Formats: sequence, structure tokens, C-alpha cells
Amino acid sequence: MLSVKNLSKSFDGNTILRDISLDVAAGETTVILGPSGSGKSTLLRCLNLLETPELGQLSIEGDTVDFGTDLTDEQVRTIRQHSAMVFQNFNLFPHLTAQQNVALAPVLNGKKSKAEAKKLAGQLLAKVGLEHKADAYPDNLSGGQQQRVAIARALAVAPDYLLFDEPTSALDPELEAEVIQVLMGLAAEKRSLVVVTHNMAFARRVADRIIFLDGGTVAYNGAPAGFFASDHARIQRFLQIFEMTDYKI
Amino acid sequence: MDRYIELWVESLPQLLLAAAQVTIPLTIIAFVLSLVIGLFSTAARNLGRFNPLNWLATTYVWIFRGTPLLVQLFLVFYGLPRVGITLDTWSAAIIALSLNTGAYVAETFRSAYASIPRGQFEAARTLNFTRAQTLRHVVIPQATRIALPPLGNDLIDLVKGTSLVSVISMVDLFQSGKQVAARTFEPLAMYLEVAAIYLVIFTLLSIGQQYLEKRTSRYVRTANA
Repeated sequence: MLSVKNLSKSFDGNTILRDISLDVAAGETTVILGPSGSGKSTLLRCLNLLETPELGQLSIEGDTVDFGTDLTDEQVRTIRQHSAMVFQNFNLFPHLTAQQNVALAPVLNGKKSKAEAKKLAGQLLAKVGLEHKADAYPDNLSGGQQQRVAIARALAVAPDYLLFDEPTSALDPELEAEVIQVLMGLAAEKRSLVVVTHNMAFARRVADRIIFLDGGTVAYNGAPAGFFASDHARIQRFLQIFEMTDYKI
Repeated sequence: MDRYIELWVESLPQLLLAAAQVTIPLTIIAFVLSLVIGLFSTAARNLGRFNPLNWLATTYVWIFRGTPLLVQLFLVFYGLPRVGITLDTWSAAIIALSLNTGAYVAETFRSAYASIPRGQFEAARTLNFTRAQTLRHVVIPQATRIALPPLGNDLIDLVKGTSLVSVISMVDLFQSGKQVAARTFEPLAMYLEVAAIYLVIFTLLSIGQQYLEKRTSRYVRTANA
């Protein structure tokens, strides 16, 4: 269980998240939607403490931190252990091969020997369909391949929650499909996924729960069916953008 | 022309000896020290904005990049004795050259560090790397590649800068050539020879630099690959 209570975050006096409270169940796929600037990426980054909220509480699998006072390194590392992040721009380490990218964290975190980590990396690359690219450098991989390596790298630290920050926004549709397939596979395995995305088909078909943020507050939190049938004006306006029904050509 | 060739052959051993005994060892010692100075300065300048070590390093780089090497050399060798610090020529030369080059190396390292994208640090943080692990496994391998070309510049400037130690009466490659020129009344022949030897040293260093750049860039696909 991942739970957020009364979370607030602002940048330079600009409030991005206002008093957010929500629970994310383990084994579910939670999709966070919202217009640009609604705070969805910031919320996701707060779950991994890439951003530190000013106020509120975060608990993941029994470990809890209260914000408002400075966190110790120990606290940050404990909370971070429970999740791993996949970024929009992949952020692979360019000087390491695909396999080295995946194998590095388990070794540095002291969880695996080099040989074990290498074996694990091979398995995870096979899982994302890239066993034949183990020795390739990121620069020689397509965007979709890079993102799949990044997913394998995140899986390598055995996180309780996988966080995806617009994982397909930098990809063209065919490469996006490669990555979405991997995500669907993970969802089918009942991994706990939290996905910020603009891919409505994914949200509709794969999400167990949809959280819609608007102006830094939760405007919807529930089943996908209810979201896509919502009569909430802001949600309807948001969905119409994807349907392109309000454009005149 | 025959006279020139004769002169060159005759004086070559003396010039090479001066290069081997002064110019090259001075370069190596000063460069190693300047790398250490550059590393510490970079570390200090990455501390908080209000950290005194940061101010110290910033002031150091400001002064040593902002004043001529020749002036620095004179201050160390002729100026310091006035406050009771008398140094022999070697010590003075090493101190002035390494402090001067160190300031440039500090800038090289700072820019290399600054060029690592923020996403690399974020990826390292979400994977729970410690600061030392991030530096060792993520930052330094990438920063090294970026730092190599400007670092090569710093080294080559240093090699040529060592010729200034002739003014504190060290017999380096340049000073040695000057002595022969004075004895033989053939400045054109001698300074051409001196220039040629510097050019050979530079060429060897460039080849070394190319090799290192190639080695550290194996992971980068270049536009014309």
C-alpha cells in the first residue's frame, strides 16, 4: 500500500500540489491523468522523493515519512527502496551497455554479486525483448528500445512500485506500442504500476484506477469506467481534446 | 644551408638534454599537481554557495586565470623572498606553473561536470546510488570524455609555458637554444630548431590525446560513423 496524506508542494511560491491525499493499492495499475501543469509529474516525483514536498505524509509498504522538516539520508533511502522511476527521456547511462545499465544498481546497492547481477540483467532484457541488444550502447538503440532497457533497469532493483513519468511521450506511435506492450505485460503480472501518461487507450484498457489532477488537486479518483463516463465539466473538456471533437477544420 | 645543418646536428644533443632534464619533467610534475589542484577546486566550488572553501577556490581561479604566468613566476621567485620565503628555481617554477595550470584545469573540470545532464543525476538518485557511487560510476566516466579536449589544451599551454622559466635562470629547452644562439650568432637557425622540438613534443601529445579521446568515446555514435 502506498499512501499520501495532505501533500503540498510549491516551486518559488507557485503551488503545484494542494493538500493531496490518495491511496494506491499494491498489485494495481494506477494511471495519473491531467492537463499540462496540473502537477501529475510532480506528484509522481514526490513518491520517489526526487521532489521533496513541503507538507504532508508519505507511506509506502509500512515505511512512513513526514514532510515539513528536513529528511535524513537514511529516511530518503528507505522510502526510495520501495520504488523505481522510468523517465520520459529514458536517462540511461550512455557510457554503459544495455546489460551494464541494468546490472549496475543491484551491485551498487549491495544486493547482488556482479555475476548474479549480470545474469539478472540478461533475464530482464529478455523480458523486455532485448536479449540480443545486451552489448549495445544506448546511442545505438531506438527510443523504444532505450525505454525498454530503462524499464529493465528499474525492475532490476526489485521495487514494490514502478513509477512511469510519461514513458512514451518522446516516442512515435510504433515505438510507443513496443513500450506499452511491456507495460501491459507488467500489469498482467499484477505488478504495482503508477503511470503518468497521455495515452488514453492505455488508461482505458489497462488502468485499475484513474487519478485525474487539475490545478494541483485530485478531481477524480476511481475506476476508469466512471472517469470516461464522467459528467464533470473539466474532465469532459480534457477528454474532448483527445477525441478532437471540439476542433473545426 | 650546410652551415645550418651542421649547427643543428651539433646542438641537437644539448637541446634534447635540456628538454629531457627541465622542460619535460617540469611539465609532467606541474601537470599532475594541476590535476590535483583542479579536482580539489572543482569539489570546493560544488559546495554550498556560503561555504568558505567555495570562496577560496573561486578566488584562486579568478586570480590565477586573470594574471599573466610571467607575473606569477616573478612574484613567486623574486617577490616571496621579501616576505621571508626563498625558493630554489625548481620549486618556484613548479609552484607557479601548477597553480597557473590548475586554475585552467579547474575551469575544464567545472564545465565537464556542468555538462552532465540533470537526468543522469536523477536516474542515479532513483536507483538509490550514494553520492560517491554516482560520482564514480555515472559522472566521472562521462565527464572525463568531455574534459579531454580542453585538458589537452591546458597541457599544451603548459608545455609552452615552461619556456618562461628561462627568466628565472633555469636552462630549459628555450634557454639552452638561446645560449647556443648567443655563442654562434645564428639566432634564426637556433630558434627554428627550438620551435621544431616544441612542435615534436606537441605532436606526440596530440597523438596521445587522440588515442585517449577515441578510447573514452567508444559509446558515442558520431555523425560520420
